[in-house]
Amino acid sequence: MINVIRPLSAALVLFCAGFSASALAHNPMCECKAIDAEQIKCTGGFSDGSGAPGVTLDVIGYDETILVPGKLGADSTLTFKKPGAEFYVLFDAGPGHVVEIDQADIEAPGT
Amino acid sequence: MSLFAAEKPGSALSRFWHKWRFHINVLLLLVPLGFMPKYFADAALFRGDTGLGEREIGEVQVGPWSVRLAELRNEAPRPDGPAGHMKSFNAALCDSCREQVKATYLRIGKPRSLRAAGVIFFGTPYRMGAMLPIPEKTKADAELWITMEGWDGSMHQASIPLSQASPATIAWLSIQGGKP
Repeated sequence: MINVIRPLSAALVLFCAGFSASALAHNPMCECKAIDAEQIKCTGGFSDGSGAPGVTLDVIGYDETILVPGKLGADSTLTFKKPGAEFYVLFDAGPGHVVEIDQADIEAPGT
Repeated sequence: MSLFAAEKPGSALSRFWHKWRFHINVLLLLVPLGFMPKYFADAALFRGDTGLGEREIGEVQVGPWSVRLAELRNEAPRPDGPAGHMKSFNAALCDSCREQVKATYLRIGKPRSLRAAGVIFFGTPYRMGAMLPIPEKTKADAELWITMEGWDGSMHQASIPLSQASPATIAWLSIQGGKP
């Protein structure tokens, strides 16, 4: 029995290794939702399914002042109070690995 | 023994099959041949033998520097799960600016700041690559902005119409049809 399974599993490993290259890309992604009238919750991550705990997430005004400097928590989320001024959310996992979310693209509560 | 005796008076095709079935499997070796043209085309594309990409966009002047842009594939953006649709671009720095340019970024629409300059090109200056997310609500008259940052701290920007950079993307956007 074991003699049969060994080559089979070896073939399976080779097969999986051959197709794994397509899963190497991991693009940053971020989603923000208004959980009530005052609070906005943002969740960051990467397209390969990994989370982004500790990654910088800043809330920046249209005049480029940083309104809320933050970092994502252990659950890859950050909840902040909605600023009074116009703003956008910048998920910043390093140069060239950013996601911007404009305030107009943040879903209202209950949707 | 008697099991196979019943099959003896089969059709000519059946007799042929039973006589040669163990040898015919050699034909399976031909199956990979069908995939070879695509394999070699891809290998040449990624090695750079067929140019910077499937479709050259041309030289774009960015301040004192210039960059040669190309679409890796002349096709619509590819879906990347929850990250949305991505489009791959390749770029090559001009001969004189390879030593001077620290980073090159690509973004749809004018960047708000250097921090949010878009996706970064990675790879050798002769052949860099970047995967640009294309939001489905991108307008057909959108512009592709190239931001270049020098080692001396200077920053230069230029833009080209998305319709010039990737007609396939514009065609794809028109099919997405007025999603909010």
